[in-house]
Amino acid sequence: MQNIDEIGKQLITQIAGSDSPRDVLKAPELKQLYGVIKTLPSGQRAVYGKRINELKIALESAVNARESELESATVESLDITAPWDVNSGPQNLLLTENGSQHPLTKEIENVSDIFTRMGFEVIESRQIDDDHHMFGTLNFPDNHPARDGYDTFRTEEGFIAPAHTSTMQNRILQDGKKKLESGGQIGVVAIGRCFRNEDLDATHEHTFHQCEGVFVSETATLGQMLGTLRSFFEAYYGQSLNIRTQPSYFPFVEPGLEFAIEKPASLGGSSKDKEWLEMLGCGMIHPNVLIAAGIDPKKYRGFAWGGGIERLVMLKYGIEDIRHFESGKLQFLREFA
Amino acid sequence: MIISLNWLKKFTDIDMPVDELVKLIGARLVEIENVVDLGEKYKDALIVKIVEAKKLEGSDHLNVTKIDDGGVSQNIERDENGHIQVVCGAPNVRAQQLVVWLPPNSVVPETYGADEPFLLGARKLLGVTSNGMIASARELDLYDEHEGIFEVEDDVRTGTTFASVYELDDFLLDIENKSLTHRPDCFGIVGFAREVAAIVGKPFHTPRWLADLSPNFGNSESGDVEINVAIDDPELSSRYMAVVMSEADGNRKSPIIIQTYLARVGVRPISAVVDVTNYLMMLTGQPLHAFDYDKLVAVGGGKADIHVRAGLENEELGLLDGKKIKISNEDIVISAGETAVALAGAMGGANTEIDENTKNIVIESATFNLYNLRATQMRHGIFSEAITRFTKGQPADLTAPVLFEASRLMNEWAGAKTVSKVADAYPGKVETPVIHVPQIQINETLGCSLDMLQITDTLINAEFEIDVEAPYRVLVKAPYWRADVHIPEDVIEEVGRLNGFDNITPTLPSRDFTAVEPNSFDVFRSLLRKILVRAGANEVLSYSFVHGNVLEKAGQEVNNSYKIVNSISPDLQYYRQTLTPSLLDLVHPNVKQGFDNFALFEINKAHSKKDGLNDEKVPIESELVSLVVANKNSQGGAPYYLAKKILDYLCESLGVKIRYEPIEKDSDDPITKTFEYRRSARLFDVQSGDIIGVVGEYKNSVIKGFKLPQSVAGFELSSAILFDVYKKLKPDYKPLSRYPSSERDVCFQVNENVTFSQIINSATNALQQEKYIAVVTPIDIYEPVDGTTKNITVRIKLTATDHTLTGEEVNNYVDSISNSVVIKTGATII
Repeated sequence: MQNIDEIGKQLITQIAGSDSPRDVLKAPELKQLYGVIKTLPSGQRAVYGKRINELKIALESAVNARESELESATVESLDITAPWDVNSGPQNLLLTENGSQHPLTKEIENVSDIFTRMGFEVIESRQIDDDHHMFGTLNFPDNHPARDGYDTFRTEEGFIAPAHTSTMQNRILQDGKKKLESGGQIGVVAIGRCFRNEDLDATHEHTFHQCEGVFVSETATLGQMLGTLRSFFEAYYGQSLNIRTQPSYFPFVEPGLEFAIEKPASLGGSSKDKEWLEMLGCGMIHPNVLIAAGIDPKKYRGFAWGGGIERLVMLKYGIEDIRHFESGKLQFLREFA
Repeated sequence: MIISLNWLKKFTDIDMPVDELVKLIGARLVEIENVVDLGEKYKDALIVKIVEAKKLEGSDHLNVTKIDDGGVSQNIERDENGHIQVVCGAPNVRAQQLVVWLPPNSVVPETYGADEPFLLGARKLLGVTSNGMIASARELDLYDEHEGIFEVEDDVRTGTTFASVYELDDFLLDIENKSLTHRPDCFGIVGFAREVAAIVGKPFHTPRWLADLSPNFGNSESGDVEINVAIDDPELSSRYMAVVMSEADGNRKSPIIIQTYLARVGVRPISAVVDVTNYLMMLTGQPLHAFDYDKLVAVGGGKADIHVRAGLENEELGLLDGKKIKISNEDIVISAGETAVALAGAMGGANTEIDENTKNIVIESATFNLYNLRATQMRHGIFSEAITRFTKGQPADLTAPVLFEASRLMNEWAGAKTVSKVADAYPGKVETPVIHVPQIQINETLGCSLDMLQITDTLINAEFEIDVEAPYRVLVKAPYWRADVHIPEDVIEEVGRLNGFDNITPTLPSRDFTAVEPNSFDVFRSLLRKILVRAGANEVLSYSFVHGNVLEKAGQEVNNSYKIVNSISPDLQYYRQTLTPSLLDLVHPNVKQGFDNFALFEINKAHSKKDGLNDEKVPIESELVSLVVANKNSQGGAPYYLAKKILDYLCESLGVKIRYEPIEKDSDDPITKTFEYRRSARLFDVQSGDIIGVVGEYKNSVIKGFKLPQSVAGFELSSAILFDVYKKLKPDYKPLSRYPSSERDVCFQVNENVTFSQIINSATNALQQEKYIAVVTPIDIYEPVDGTTKNITVRIKLTATDHTLTGEEVNNYVDSISNSVVIKTGATII
């Protein structure tokens, strides 16, 4: 064992001064150390083997350190203020025709624009949040089975990668409280990334985008919610649309609904053979959610909804695989050039 | 969850076509994901009688049988008696048996709907024709038994279809039960049927045993077997009932029709005793559990003394599935005396398991705290049909009628007798609240105009108790199985849902004409995007989470990233601190795909622990824009300038004036860690002096780690700071001069350490006279091989605002500019 330490020290010194440090790993001393293993009684082999392994790791990292030192020593600095390098000419930009905007950001811009014109403010959703915003203020008691529907990622500190943009609802309501109490209304849309602990396939992503909407006034009704959502989709698809709902359960709304539109003509829908596209979940904001934001549910009512952006884009372009969006493949991206 | 339509029909009259019903249930209760036509699956199966069974010569196990199908089959080979020949390999085949025959050209039900359904024919076995087959229970897709053929015990006429005898002309509805999390009642056929009745507006027939909440179990034949139950902590369980039964015959099967109902909703029939508990659970949503009474007495120290209590420190329990678990003090435990005998609601213990020697059983009917059980479910990974129902919160009132019916069925199907009094601990009895709901609140919330009669009829149909407080207020008492209804909004939901939300007219909220400002940061980021796209770059979106080795390869400290504890893969274990590593990770795959000259950019958020938390105590998010430009075939010149060119273009397009400064060697900022400090610069806003970001080449270790081509560089900026700078910009328009301009080129020879900006700055500083407009642009930068000097040539363009410049004026002015450069930088003019 003594031997290992001594040889280790020697080799590390050698590495530190070597111009080709990796060669030191082939030193005969090291081979000898390995050779010893076979000669040991079986009881001692494990301990010895572990020591050798530790030495190997230490040497490996010494080699890496020395290598990057050597490499780095040869790095020349350059004139960071110059427009181009010495002895070369002006730089060109890349070809504009190859440039492309991501189809998701394009659609998010489009959706934001429609909601803005309808009278909604647009904010961005957070990508890391806490239990209080993701569940607590949204009428999910601790250990409530409804939490099972949201397979959330959590950090060591207990922060949450939000599984829905509703994580912004409490903030929206708190921020809008003053406006509400001075006779106004709350009308805000939050768009952003969401995350769910879900295996990837052509139609499932662990990372996706949602658009959340919140409207509160003294006179909000479920009928207004249906009208507002229909109006959005009619603007989005540029035609009048029939809508359909289905009861659903989300703890932060009561009643809760799934909202579907008829397949618009631009997506190949026909009025004869009606197909329905499920677009989002929605409902009247639960009184407990209003109370959590300090808003009096006896005086004010509201509705909220949340739907995925990816689906809109996939339908619009006929994109076959949701995984393309976050793949960074130029082949995919340049289709949108 | 599977719901059988025929089972529903036992409780309410359904006469509409199934597709209409599915639509209606979808619009008023829950989404039905799929409908299976069971009649189609069993359409060819016939009940026949074996009239003769003889050994097949040359085979050790096959029999040749003649069957009587009552003459109903067409196009089939018959003998002189009109019987059909079928070869059968089952050991239990014998003459006079009633069996199920699958004729030629029918599909074996077990394979119905599979990728390759098994189509039967008439084929020869050892020279003897066999027409179709005689089916086993497994081939009929009833349960996993194929040792022998399925025997029909009931007295049925031959030639009757199997489906008609066992009510298999059925449709199975696959329910999306996530949306029923709040409806424990709908996890049983009875509850679901109640809903359907309310939706279609038909009466619901409550079975008599279910209507009686305090059933009289009668005098047990020998009511002297002792059993006591106690709930030690009423928080854990609001009711626990148990009764002892003896002489149950463990070998008896439940009636075939019951077996087929269990099988069609996905439960495997086992024995009458087990089937009773499963059948009642599927029917009512109330799970039951059975213990071996004698074992329970033995572990309980000589008496049946059942306790419901919290798990103890260091308590362990061996479960029915053979696993041994460590109990937590959040688990609910059923104990006999001191000893744990079951993990309540989840699974029984091995120490009280029913086996072939069991003589007496204890049947438990109870309800437990759903929050505790959900934690138990997660902790021990138990996802049974029972716990799925318990975690929705089954009502305490349901335990009595279900236990009553269980004891009756145990007697009827398995011959068991009740031998104890019913033990009942019910500390959680609560009075159902009366909810006051004004008519106006219903109509104003939904946006409709229902009259009082419509409202009360709807609620009465759903078995709510109604009182009307004159003139416009409804007093509502929910039935005991609707524990989800406690506030007026819940009642409004019921009214809206059962009347059909789709019957509400969509309207729009009224709003004033105040203009809404678009989100200015969004507008700015959209502008950034368009500029970078114009510069030929491709926008990407990449995951917010990265592999630890991506951070390491990028030179960043892994422990500065928020770590995901339940990530699906190591690839997604850490929040990224900056965007550059994600982009670098995408370069090599794209190069491999044949792209050799491209720029990728992303505008997104990143999270670094060093940034700390905000006022809400959640991590501060940094808003970033990052770009990487790669060129596999280097055009000569350092790649740094590729990135700088795009950055200059971006800033010029925005109108932001920037300055490049060197980066110190060991910066702590996660952005700079990826960049080689000697070949990168920090970007400053000239006006405010704020740092906007970093541009440059990457460390050699980064290039190696990400397998980057040699010519690669990029930048990462704070889009938030850039936005602040941009917001403060004022229009910078200079009136045009009416006079022509003149140009002179000057070449400065300087020491190689003198920077280009030193020359430009000293030149620009000399251009102070207001009546001239002077612009200095670079023409050439030349450094001789092994030289210690370099030559920088610039073009000075001069325009006067009030006259045409003479040659002399131009020369003088250019000279003075040049001289000032010479003084500041020690240049020689050549």
